[in-house]
Amino acid sequence: MTAWEKSRARAAPWFLLPALALLAVFVVWPMVRAAAWSFTSADLLAPERAHWLGAANYSELLTDARFRRAFGNTALFALMVVPVQTVVAFFLALWVNRPEPAWRWLRAVFFIPVIVSTPVLAVLWTLLYQPAQGEQMGLINAMVQAIGVPPQAWLRDPHLALPAIAFMSVWQGVGLQMMVFLAGLQAVPGELLEAARIDGAGAWGRVRHVIIPSVRNTIVFVVTVTTVLAFRIFVQPYLMTRGGPGRSTLSLIQSIYETTFLGQDLGRACAASFLFLIWVAFLTLLQRWIAGEERG
Amino acid sequence: MRQGAARMWWRCAQFPLLALALVFVLTGASSRAARTLRIWGHQGQEGENHAMREIVVAFNRAHAAEGVSVEISFFPDFQYTEKIAIAAAAHDLPDAFEVDAPLIARYVDAGLLAPLDRWFGPADQTDFLPTLTEQAKIAGKLYSVAAYDSALVLYYDRAMLAAAGVAPPPADGWTWEEFLAACAKVRAAGVEPVALHMNESADEWFTYAFTPVVWSGGGKLIADDGLRVRGVLASAANIRSLTLWQTLFTRGFAATDPVDPNPFGHGKAAMDWSGHWMAQLHLEAKGAQLGAAPLPHVGAQPVAPCGSWCWSMSAHTKDPELAATWLRWVTSTQHGIVPLVRANGAVPARKSAFGEFPKYQRPPYALFRRQLETFARPRPQTPFYATLTQHFAAALRDIARGADVGGRLRMAENEIQKEIDRRSAHGSREAAR
Amino acid sequence: MKAPSSNVQAPGFARNRALGRAAVKWLVSVAVALVFLAPLLWMVRASFTEEPRIFLPGFGGWFDGWTVGNYADAWRRAGLGRGLANSALQVAIIAGAGLIVNAMAAYAFARFVFRGRDVLFAGVVILIVLPIEVLAVPLFFTARDLGLTGGFGAAMAGLSVPFVAKAFNIYFLRQHFLSLPMELEEAAAIDGAGVWRQFWTLALPAVKPALATVVLLDVLTHWGDFLWPLMISTRAETRTVQLSLANLFTQPPLQWGDILACAVLATLPVMLLFRFFQRHIVATEARAGIK
Repeated sequence: MTAWEKSRARAAPWFLLPALALLAVFVVWPMVRAAAWSFTSADLLAPERAHWLGAANYSELLTDARFRRAFGNTALFALMVVPVQTVVAFFLALWVNRPEPAWRWLRAVFFIPVIVSTPVLAVLWTLLYQPAQGEQMGLINAMVQAIGVPPQAWLRDPHLALPAIAFMSVWQGVGLQMMVFLAGLQAVPGELLEAARIDGAGAWGRVRHVIIPSVRNTIVFVVTVTTVLAFRIFVQPYLMTRGGPGRSTLSLIQSIYETTFLGQDLGRACAASFLFLIWVAFLTLLQRWIAGEERG
Repeated sequence: MRQGAARMWWRCAQFPLLALALVFVLTGASSRAARTLRIWGHQGQEGENHAMREIVVAFNRAHAAEGVSVEISFFPDFQYTEKIAIAAAAHDLPDAFEVDAPLIARYVDAGLLAPLDRWFGPADQTDFLPTLTEQAKIAGKLYSVAAYDSALVLYYDRAMLAAAGVAPPPADGWTWEEFLAACAKVRAAGVEPVALHMNESADEWFTYAFTPVVWSGGGKLIADDGLRVRGVLASAANIRSLTLWQTLFTRGFAATDPVDPNPFGHGKAAMDWSGHWMAQLHLEAKGAQLGAAPLPHVGAQPVAPCGSWCWSMSAHTKDPELAATWLRWVTSTQHGIVPLVRANGAVPARKSAFGEFPKYQRPPYALFRRQLETFARPRPQTPFYATLTQHFAAALRDIARGADVGGRLRMAENEIQKEIDRRSAHGSREAAR
Repeated sequence: MKAPSSNVQAPGFARNRALGRAAVKWLVSVAVALVFLAPLLWMVRASFTEEPRIFLPGFGGWFDGWTVGNYADAWRRAGLGRGLANSALQVAIIAGAGLIVNAMAAYAFARFVFRGRDVLFAGVVILIVLPIEVLAVPLFFTARDLGLTGGFGAAMAGLSVPFVAKAFNIYFLRQHFLSLPMELEEAAAIDGAGVWRQFWTLALPAVKPALATVVLLDVLTHWGDFLWPLMISTRAETRTVQLSLANLFTQPPLQWGDILACAVLATLPVMLLFRFFQRHIVATEARAGIK
């Protein structure tokens, strides 16, 4: 370390202090507190009355019907959204990946839902899914009727509500993943494509043998990021169906929210939060691992 | 360089400054009364909501000279409990707020409510319906007051019963044996005997509507200390009572998954297990053919449920006098009860208020009053009411679909007791012993 | 993938065919774009429609029943002025204060050599994966204990202060500081500029695009915040715009026209932002891969 560096280093604490202090107070400290609460019976309205429970909150959550249903719903939601959104985003990216600047408008079109806030879209799609009432119906029912399918009560049917929300989520997020793929496509070597073309490979052959292998890492990234985002779903079912009909759209986050504020069971809610955190961390590590595997 | 820095500062600062300016421009410097009381109410139906707004306006007009006013916010029923919990946890409860009657015990246990005896003395307490004071009194102190209460009865269509050869129920209602026999005759006549509204999505409907079956058989949902269900919920008496109730479904007298929300009003069912909120509609549909009786009872005496929205004061209000002034206003006959009861059709909370409502001389309203004054019972006072009602409702849903009554009640008993033991210090001591 | 239509050397017949194919592609794209944007187009159209006509299917009555009454109603009933102003204040504090705080930390991690730097930085990086949903409940208690709940000032602080320092922004800005040449500060040091001046007048302006990125990201993220305001805002005067919308959406009587007008007004600011920073926003969101 040179003398100059040393003199500069003296300033380091002052530069770091504001951010680190805020992170410590608003991220680390709440986590520590939540960890402590998760082993107790802490009550939302009187956290100080807690007594020690050991791992009971965790072990009981794993067998709790409501929590398992919420996890199942959310996993099902992810299973619906992730493959569809990834595939659609990939092909949209191929479609809009044109050098002429005139095509930029199309990319912008697909990106617009990404920047509209989720509560607005949740409210809007509730209206779009409006069931038929005499002549009146939402846009989706008008559209499906035009292609000969009878109108449905999308959000009020326990079998349709979750797929309906998933469909909306794909529409909302596909533009973002399309952009990620677009960035990935820039890395596809032109010579390889040219060589494939000369070898007589058709469009599909080039996609399969050249493009997909070269954007493998992007695919892994998109799949894991979309999965984590799908598991964080809350606003759409909370506003559109309140988790119903029945519990058919109850999400993991909503179940934690309800455990906190309706059950007022802070200890249990903190334990559920930590299980959720472990799951998210696992997904993130999985992505690192798959991506790393490929690189090595 | 310096100039660059200044420009940069300005750029960073201008957005927040603009936003702050915007806040003041858009919100205006609202001139506030010297003393403002924050209150919360549930949303209710449009008419009821309108009546509540009018009551607030009238209060503010009457108290303008003293420089005091109230500010009301409404939240829909499905959000109300969560909003109260958030505000309580944030230490930002409104000064006075509505509380759903069975949750009073929980809020008192958590120290959220202030006792009201100072402002509502014996004269008031004897004027309120006995069910209201019973529900709101904990350890001898009164924690809430109300403008109205609820009633649940067995409506019936005289003509439909007569066509099936069934005599109308007596003034104290049928026993369950008589009720089931009547149902069998109606069913034989090709009509659905009774609507039980089993498609109701709120858990609370099940506890509210069907606990009287348990009570009338001499049973309870939870011990009087509010902390023990083991050996109470799945008692032999309760198994017997709810087996009678289950018969309604096993013999096809009531639908487990009704599609029509009002089969009685539409002439498809002969009887309706329903509340005061249907009285007006049913009267309009049936006229003189409408009859109402107390719910069928397992034992000798009928039992009815009760309880509705009440008003409480926050334990942390800075202005208890003003909060009490509001509570007195909204529960007074003239300013609160008359407009609210006109709007929502509930039962007036004060005996002295019935004079304002001539229809309480006639059926079915006369029955509402009679049962609230004599044989109605509030839901159990326990800090774990939310847990209790959730599991009890789930058990009833399963029993209606044919689950073994004893086994299902024991299962609910275990679930509820486990939850109470885990969450209450008392329970953990019990478990450790 | 290279677009085949870029092959403009083709003569005569082939060239016509290429043009035809381009036209088809263009038409397909326009059609797909219209279907894709139909929900948002419908939102805008319906927000100007009289209540009884909103759910009439088909486009027969496209020009009937226009009204701006929904906007007036929504503004009044939802208290939108308040909501918009509160949201603006919230994102302004987060983005403004966050810019300075995070850039300072990022600069220290990038440019200073001190003991424990790498460990500390690794600790910050770990926090990136933490979703707010996990923290919301315990964070709520921290906010309460610090007095960040309740009246207007407290709730505004509660809505913004916890999100000023952001691990991702520190990480992101550090990358950009790292790519600056060290000579920048060395030259300034010879001129007698202190560390703060080197940071403030040299390094910070040099990473302006990155700063714009984090600001846009903060604004877009927190403009759409829902779960946190739902918990923090306990009074009508502290509602954010999304809460005003949700409030209108859950409180009878439901007036769909008002709700849609409210949704349009809540979207307008981000749309304007998008209009002016389109390329930047797209790059930003794609890089962060969040939302």
